[in-house]
Amino acid sequence: MKSDMGLIVKTMARATIPLIGIFGAYVVSHGHLTPGGGFQGGATIAGAGILFLIAFGIDEAKKRINKSLYSALEGLGGLVFLGAAMLGLSVVFFYNTLWHNGPVFDGKPGTLLSAGYLPIMNLAVGLKVYTGLMSAVFAIALFRRWRK
Amino acid sequence: MIPLQFVTAFLMVFMGIYAFLYKRNLIKLILALNLIDAGIHLLLISLGYRLENGILPTAPIYTGYETLKGTPMVGPIPQALVLTSIVIGVCVLSLAMALTINAYRHYRTLDVNKLRRLRG
Amino acid sequence: MRKTFGALSLLFILGILLLIANPNYGLKFGLGGEDWQKYRYTDQYYIDHGIEETGGTNIVTDIVFDYRGYDTLGEATVLFTSIAGAVALLRKWREENEE
Repeated sequence: MKSDMGLIVKTMARATIPLIGIFGAYVVSHGHLTPGGGFQGGATIAGAGILFLIAFGIDEAKKRINKSLYSALEGLGGLVFLGAAMLGLSVVFFYNTLWHNGPVFDGKPGTLLSAGYLPIMNLAVGLKVYTGLMSAVFAIALFRRWRK
Repeated sequence: MIPLQFVTAFLMVFMGIYAFLYKRNLIKLILALNLIDAGIHLLLISLGYRLENGILPTAPIYTGYETLKGTPMVGPIPQALVLTSIVIGVCVLSLAMALTINAYRHYRTLDVNKLRRLRG
Repeated sequence: MRKTFGALSLLFILGILLLIANPNYGLKFGLGGEDWQKYRYTDQYYIDHGIEETGGTNIVTDIVFDYRGYDTLGEATVLFTSIAGAVALLRKWREENEE
């Protein structure tokens, strides 16, 4: 059974998938400055992935995307989140120790490299949400075996 | 006078409860669950609104942060908690869809009444 | 019997919802001025002190990741568990090889 869509949809998907991905990456990386954050940006990038899946079909997507790698990356995102929470464990759990006395993320408020561990957590949650939604959609899309 | 946000939120909750009582398709029941979820989110977000006389409140984001200091802002706690709740709604949706697909695979139907009667 | 019971319960729920939504004796909409300072002082504290204490200019991100970090940790756990459950439910089953 043919599972991809027509030529118009494929061309439009080729044009729009990189733009959606760049916008999602912007929302994730500027999560502590502008509206948005880890979850919203991750869901936006997952929207780009789902557009790829339904425009090019499950056979093409199975060649490009490794499902077990995505499941592993989801656990990695959760572990990075937990590790960023444990950075200030000498004071208390979830203590923002990089802000005011850290080496890296200690800029003026409003710049990109500021706000302590918030950018690290945004990236971790964005990675986790993106890979989690993609693996869930893949598991649902791959489940057609009873019909042959 | 009931505010328009409350009317919309309670209408969404009411439509969800109606679908729970009268529909029998499993997919429609999942959609009703998400409709109730969205209605509750809208209600919580609108509870955080702020009415000062004459001044419109802004979103709680200091983009150019020295000039915005002191202006009235919408309460940020309902937005943060609703953000958590949206993620849990997506989780419930994915798990319910997986269970529904498995039920269809076993019983070849999505009707709730036939689903219960088929294999005991 | 069943239909009338359903319709009556729907009317009852509608009445309760209308009673809750009325701002005269139900949920208050749009607090401001004195009421805001009295009932929503936590929001006002986050708006006033959020930048000095956590550094992010987006107050919602400050609350989600710093003030209420345990909530986000539980949310990440729920996300991981439900995705793992969905992937495990949609796996290839053992009886399928024999059929």
